[in-house]
Amino acid sequence: MTRSWMRYAILLAPLPLFLVVSYVLPFLMVAKWSVTDPEPGFGQYIRIFTDPTVQAVLIRTLRICVIVTLVSVTLAYAIAYNWVFGPPRRQRLIEYCVLIPFWISVLIRAFGWLILLRNNGIINESLMGIGIIKEPLALVRNELGSIIGMTHFLIPFAVFPLASALRQVDPRVLQAASGLGAGRMRIFWTVTLPMTMPGVLGAGIIVFVFALGFFITPAILSGGRSVMVAEFIYLQLFQTVNWGLAAAISVVLLVIVAALGTLLHKVARLDKLVG
Amino acid sequence: MSEHFKRDCFEILTRRAAAGEIDRRSFVKAAALLLSVPMAMRAKMAFAADQLVVANWGGDAIDAFQKAFGEPFTKATGIAVRIDGSGPTEGAIKAQITSGKIIWDVVDADANLGIAFGKEGVLEALDYNTIDRAKIRKGYDYEFGTPGYFFSYVLAYDSARFSDEAPTSPADFWNVEKFPGKRTMYKWMNGMLEAALLADGVKPEELYPLDIDRALAKIEALKPHIISFWGSGAESQQLLTEGEAAMGYIWNTRAILLGRDTDDQIKWGYDGGFLNSSTWITPKGNPAGRDNAMRFIATSQDAQSQVMLFDLLGNGPANPEADALIPDDRKALNCVSPEAEAKQVTLNAEWYADNYSAALEKFLALVSK
Repeated sequence: MTRSWMRYAILLAPLPLFLVVSYVLPFLMVAKWSVTDPEPGFGQYIRIFTDPTVQAVLIRTLRICVIVTLVSVTLAYAIAYNWVFGPPRRQRLIEYCVLIPFWISVLIRAFGWLILLRNNGIINESLMGIGIIKEPLALVRNELGSIIGMTHFLIPFAVFPLASALRQVDPRVLQAASGLGAGRMRIFWTVTLPMTMPGVLGAGIIVFVFALGFFITPAILSGGRSVMVAEFIYLQLFQTVNWGLAAAISVVLLVIVAALGTLLHKVARLDKLVG
Repeated sequence: MSEHFKRDCFEILTRRAAAGEIDRRSFVKAAALLLSVPMAMRAKMAFAADQLVVANWGGDAIDAFQKAFGEPFTKATGIAVRIDGSGPTEGAIKAQITSGKIIWDVVDADANLGIAFGKEGVLEALDYNTIDRAKIRKGYDYEFGTPGYFFSYVLAYDSARFSDEAPTSPADFWNVEKFPGKRTMYKWMNGMLEAALLADGVKPEELYPLDIDRALAKIEALKPHIISFWGSGAESQQLLTEGEAAMGYIWNTRAILLGRDTDDQIKWGYDGGFLNSSTWITPKGNPAGRDNAMRFIATSQDAQSQVMLFDLLGNGPANPEADALIPDDRKALNCVSPEAEAKQVTLNAEWYADNYSAALEKFLALVSK
């Protein structure tokens, strides 16, 4: 008993050890800056909760992340549903449509959206060409552009856990509901959706956490005008060199992500989400 | 900030080399010139150290530097040159200084950084016995840094849209009735507050210290007409080439490329422009020693080298003797010639040293609003 426990401990040790050395210790040093730079105290944390500039960045980040999460999960649910329950040909098509963009670099995808969405891009030119609009729609180089690009990037991350949740729904339950006279909509709203709710919440948390750290997509698609928290931390580290503030925001972000991670653990069993 | 500018220079070089506009040799040489050590002077250097580390901005330039610089240098002196392409941002320089682990001997930094770090006492003072004051433009022989080259923020515009009259001043840039169309401005702020204040009626000689709030109010008024705040040179070029922006404040190096690539449809000039400079600095306690770093900076002053850099990239020579060596048909492109300088406002590095961080935060808050 003890010996086998020991064996597992030794086999498992490298990973936590690696994490402690390469992540936990450096992070603790960064966390130390948050209460020592430029002077000892909680000034940087007070600034996070009082300075309108920092507040604006945090609120903007939160707003973008919430919208991206809602849209991504909704679209991903529809995709995952068709992936799991659709006819085989549709299933293959969805696999390609989800996986191929998933493998394409974040930079290329951002530039692709830029070409599609900009004022003289394909979408605006076509709409103006057929006379639906007179002036180009502001689809990119603003917050909307960031949201579109981020949503596109994050949908696969929601599709996989949702598909996994849908696959675990016992088909006999659905047959039973149908046999008892429920229509397709009623089956969906009263049986399928409630049964996959842990998957929905799990996918939502995964997407939200990813979205919090987005850097490149908003930098390219927002026309420089919607700085999110990751870029703001970069700014404080390298441009304005206010390490204390950067560290304090990082700590706050880590706390939020850790809380969400715990929540994810509670609402959905991780092994089921990836299974 | 000029660190972005330097990164952009490498991008231009790479692009031109890829397009076959310059050959591999010139590419390597120009990349090397961004750090500027003429071969001729290297053999005379007496190094005590066994290597000299120079911070640069990465990419293809690392290999190019090693081949162009490192190998001949090593041959002549027995000292290896190591190129660190990780990018000497202000934060990265500060990280070395605070930790006490200095690994860079010479750093290509912002002029305001030379002053700010200089005041903190963490830089070596320049040795003007080794570095030649006669090869420095008047007023740029700072205690802790001297320019490696000059560059400008210039007003470029689409001549197809403004064929009757050209916008030539910040006031024109803000005049959306006379010059309708989207604009683009620089995301990292240099020169933009100055432009706003000039457009608001402040006299050039009364600009500094900048009235930040007044400048920001002026920029806010123009915001509906700004399509994008560009963060990279490529982005600024794309905005004008594709017609997304009708005019913009962009780097002169990119403006030169734009004029050529569009057969002068995109026009620009130094009127209403803003002149800026890079600066060589050496952190105290640099591994190869102060003397070696000073010799390195001194060699970068060579007029021929400075002209070469101008030819390939459009950077203005730091050494005034180089102006005369530029071919006549390209003299007008030199951002730091006396004629061009007179048309522009020179950014005040002292002001930036004290105010850049705080002002940038306010500026970006407004940009994001």
